[in-house]
Amino acid sequence: MILLEVRSVTKRFGGVVAVDNVSFSVGVGEILGLMGANGAGKTTMFSLIAGNQRPDDGSILLDGVPIHGMRPDIISRRGISRAFQIVRPFAGMSVLENVMVGELFGARQEKSTTIAEARARDIIGEVGLSDRADDFADSLTLAGRKRLEIARALATNPKFLMLDEVMAGLTPTEVAEAVAMIRKLQSERDLTVVIIEHVMGVLMDLCPRIVVLHHGGVLAEGTPAEISQDARVIEAYLGTGRDSAA
Amino acid sequence: MTRTRIPEIGVIVAAFAIVASLPWLAGSYMVSFAFSLMMWLALTQSWVLFSGLTGYISLGHAVFFGAGAYVMVLCWGTISFWLAIPLAGIIAGGLALLLGYPCLRVRGPYFVILTFGLAELIKFVVVNIESELGQFSRVVFGGPGVDQLFHVMVGLAAIATLMTYVVRRSRAGVGLRAIRENEEAAETIGVSVARYKAFAFAASAIIPGMVGAVMVLRTTYFEPLQAFSPITSFTIVSIAIIGGGDDAPGPVYGALFLVVLQELLWANWPQLYMIILGLLLVFFVLWSPDGVHGWVRKWQLGGRK
Amino acid sequence: MDALLSGQLLLAALVTGFVYALVALGLNLIYGTMRLLNIAHGELVMLGAYVTFWLFTLTGVSPLIAFVVAMVLGAAMGWAAYRGIFRSAILSTSVVERLEANSLLLFFGISIILQNVISLIFKADLRGYQYLDNVVEFGGIAITGNRLLVFGISCVVCVGIILFLRYSIFGLAIRALIQNRDATAIVGIDVDRVQAISFGLGFGLAALAGALISTMQPISPFMGFPFTIAAFVVIILGGLGNMTGSLVGGLILGFLETYGVALTAPTYQSILIYGVFIGVLLWRPQGILGGKRVAR
Repeated sequence: MILLEVRSVTKRFGGVVAVDNVSFSVGVGEILGLMGANGAGKTTMFSLIAGNQRPDDGSILLDGVPIHGMRPDIISRRGISRAFQIVRPFAGMSVLENVMVGELFGARQEKSTTIAEARARDIIGEVGLSDRADDFADSLTLAGRKRLEIARALATNPKFLMLDEVMAGLTPTEVAEAVAMIRKLQSERDLTVVIIEHVMGVLMDLCPRIVVLHHGGVLAEGTPAEISQDARVIEAYLGTGRDSAA
Repeated sequence: MTRTRIPEIGVIVAAFAIVASLPWLAGSYMVSFAFSLMMWLALTQSWVLFSGLTGYISLGHAVFFGAGAYVMVLCWGTISFWLAIPLAGIIAGGLALLLGYPCLRVRGPYFVILTFGLAELIKFVVVNIESELGQFSRVVFGGPGVDQLFHVMVGLAAIATLMTYVVRRSRAGVGLRAIRENEEAAETIGVSVARYKAFAFAASAIIPGMVGAVMVLRTTYFEPLQAFSPITSFTIVSIAIIGGGDDAPGPVYGALFLVVLQELLWANWPQLYMIILGLLLVFFVLWSPDGVHGWVRKWQLGGRK
Repeated sequence: MDALLSGQLLLAALVTGFVYALVALGLNLIYGTMRLLNIAHGELVMLGAYVTFWLFTLTGVSPLIAFVVAMVLGAAMGWAAYRGIFRSAILSTSVVERLEANSLLLFFGISIILQNVISLIFKADLRGYQYLDNVVEFGGIAITGNRLLVFGISCVVCVGIILFLRYSIFGLAIRALIQNRDATAIVGIDVDRVQAISFGLGFGLAALAGALISTMQPISPFMGFPFTIAAFVVIILGGLGNMTGSLVGGLILGFLETYGVALTAPTYQSILIYGVFIGVLLWRPQGILGGKRVAR
C-alpha cells in the first residue's frame, strides 16, 4: 500500500531547476533510499514534502490526500517528520525540552507538559541520550545532536520519517550504531522512512529500494544490486556505486 | 527542573505581599517609589512574555502604554474610570494584533526597527490629531486617589508577573521558546508560529495599555510626546536585558535596580542616568545577555552547561 | 500652487536630497561592509554638527575649515572604532552570533550615550549660529548663501565618492567586500584595511553632513535620529551596496519630504518620514539585504 506519492514535481529557484519532473512513491513500512550527487535535488525534495517549499508543478499526496502547498506545521501534524541535514537543535533549551517540543506540537498535539515530558524521556532513552537529558542541546557532540534531531522528529509521532544525511560526520563506529538504531526504531514503530545518504554502504545496507536523482531528475530506481550495476548510474558517478565513500 | 525555581518565586510572592501593604506601613515617599517600581515591573513582565520568550525584540512597546493612556483620556467624563482601564487594555491588545499582522513577518533587527518606527509614527499621528482637535496637553481630574491607584498598579504588576511565570512553564511557553531558538525548525515540527507570535504579541500589550491608563490618572496629565516617548520603550528593554529576559524573576531584578538608579540620579543628573543606562545596556548585550537572572540561574545550576 | 512649482521648493528639495544621500552613502559603506545595523549613524551626523558649531563659536574659524576638520575627525573616529572595537568583535564568532541579534540594541545604547554626553556638555537646548545668512538671488529664486554652499559641497562630494568607488582600486575592493566577504579575502584583498577605510569614509561622510546641516538649521543633541531613519529609507530604496542607488534614493526622499510637507504642513514632516520608513520596510524588506543574494 502506498503511503506517499510524488507526482511530476518540479521546483525552480530563479533560473535553476532544482527538482525536475520527479515521480516516485513510498510504500507503507518501506525504507527508501534517496541518492544523488550534491545539487541533485534530494534535500529540496525533502523540503517540498515537509512543506518548507512549495512545488511549482506536480503534486504530493499522503495517504491519497494532496499535501503540497500546506504549511509545514500542518503537514507535521498529519504525520510527516524530518531530521534536517544541518542539524537545528533548539540550542538554548535542554535535550529534554527539545524532544518535548515534538511531543507537544507534533501529530499527537499533547496538551499536558507532564505527559510530554515522560514520553520525551522514553524517546531519549531509545536514541541513547538519557544521560544528557537535562543538558543544553548545544553542549552535545555532533553525533549526539544528530540523535537529538532524530529523537525530536520521532516525538512528533510520525508515520513518515525523512532522514537527511544523518550519518555525515560520524565515525564508522557511530555510523554502525546509528544504522542499528534506525533499524530498531523503524521496526518497533512501524515507520515509513526515506533516507538521504552519501555514505553508500549505509544506503545499500539499510534500503531494499533506492531512487537515484541527478540534476533534479530521476535517473534510476531499483534494488541496491540493480542500482550499482545500472550503466546510467555508473556513468553519473564514475564508480561510486561499488565502494563505500569514506 | 522546577525545584530550584521555588525559592526565587517564593521570595517574590512574599515581596508582593509586603509591597501591597505599603500604604499602611510607610509614608508617601515609599509609596511613590513602589508605584514606579510596580509600573516598570508590569511593563517589563509583559514585554518579556512576548519579546523575551520569542526573541522578537520590540523596541516600540511604549505605543501600547501611550494608547492605553489616550483611551483613558478620550473616555474621561463619559465612562467610569474602572471600566476605562480594562477597555484601555483591550484596545491596546487589538492594536497589537493590528500591528502584528505586518510586523511579525519580519525578523531579527528589522522587527526591532520596525516596531520602533511604528511607535514613532503613531506618536506623531496622535500629536497631529491632538493639535487638530486644538489640544496640546490634557488634564484628567477627579480620578481615584493615589492609594487606590497604587493597589491597582500592584495588581497589574502581580498579574503580569504571574502571566510570565505561568506561560513560560506551559506548553505555550515551550512553543514560544522554540520559535526563539529556531523558528523554521519549530514550524516544521508543528508549532503554528504565526498564531503563537500574534497572540503573544497581543497578550504583551494588554497590561501596558492598562498601565498607561492608570498612569494618566496618577499624573492627571496627558501629553502625547511624553506618553508615547521612546525613552519608555528603551527603559523597558534595558530593564529586561539587565535583569534577564527569559523568566519572571528577571524583570524583578531589573526594575528594582532601575528605580533605585532613577531615584538617585534622575532629579539632578538626568543625562548621567541615561548614560549609565546606555552603558549598562551595551555591557549586558555584549557580555551578559541573560542578565542578572542568568547569573542567578548559572549559580543555582552549579554551572552546568 | 505657485509655491509648489517654484524653483525655490525645487532647490530646497535638492539640498535636502543631497544631504540625505551623503548620510546614506556613509551608512551604506559601514552597513554594507560590516552587516551591522548601525542605528547610531545619525549621532555621527550630530557630532559633526557640534564640532563645527563649537569651532565656529569658540574660535571663529570659518565653517569651511570646520567642515574639513569635522570630516577628518569623523574619519579618524571611524578608523579608531573599527580598529579598537569592531575588528575584534567580528573575529570572535560567539560575539558575532549574539551581535547579529542584538546589534541593534547595542547601537541604540551607544546612540543614547552619545546624545546624553553631548547634552551634558552643551545643554539640551537648540544651538545655532549665523553663517552666510545673506540671501542670494538668481533666476528668480531666492536662497540663502549657506544653503547654496551646502548644495554645492554635498553634490560634489556625493558624485565624487560614487566616481571614486566606481573607478578606483579601493572602490573596487570596497564593493567586493560588500558583495561577498569571504571571496574578497580569498582573492587577496586586505579585508582588514579595506574595512578600516570604509569605516573611516563612512563616519567622515556622516560628520560632513552634520557639519553642513549645522549652517542651515539649529542643532540639538537629539537631532540625529531622523537622519538615521532617513539613511535607512534611502538604503532600502536604493539597495544595499548600491552607491548610485543611495544618491537616487536620497534625492527621492528629499523630494518626497519637501513636497509632502509643502502639500500638508510642517508638523507632518515626522509622519512622512516614519510613514515612508514603515512603508519601505514592509514593501521591500529584502532591500536591506541588497539587490542580489549576498553571501556572508
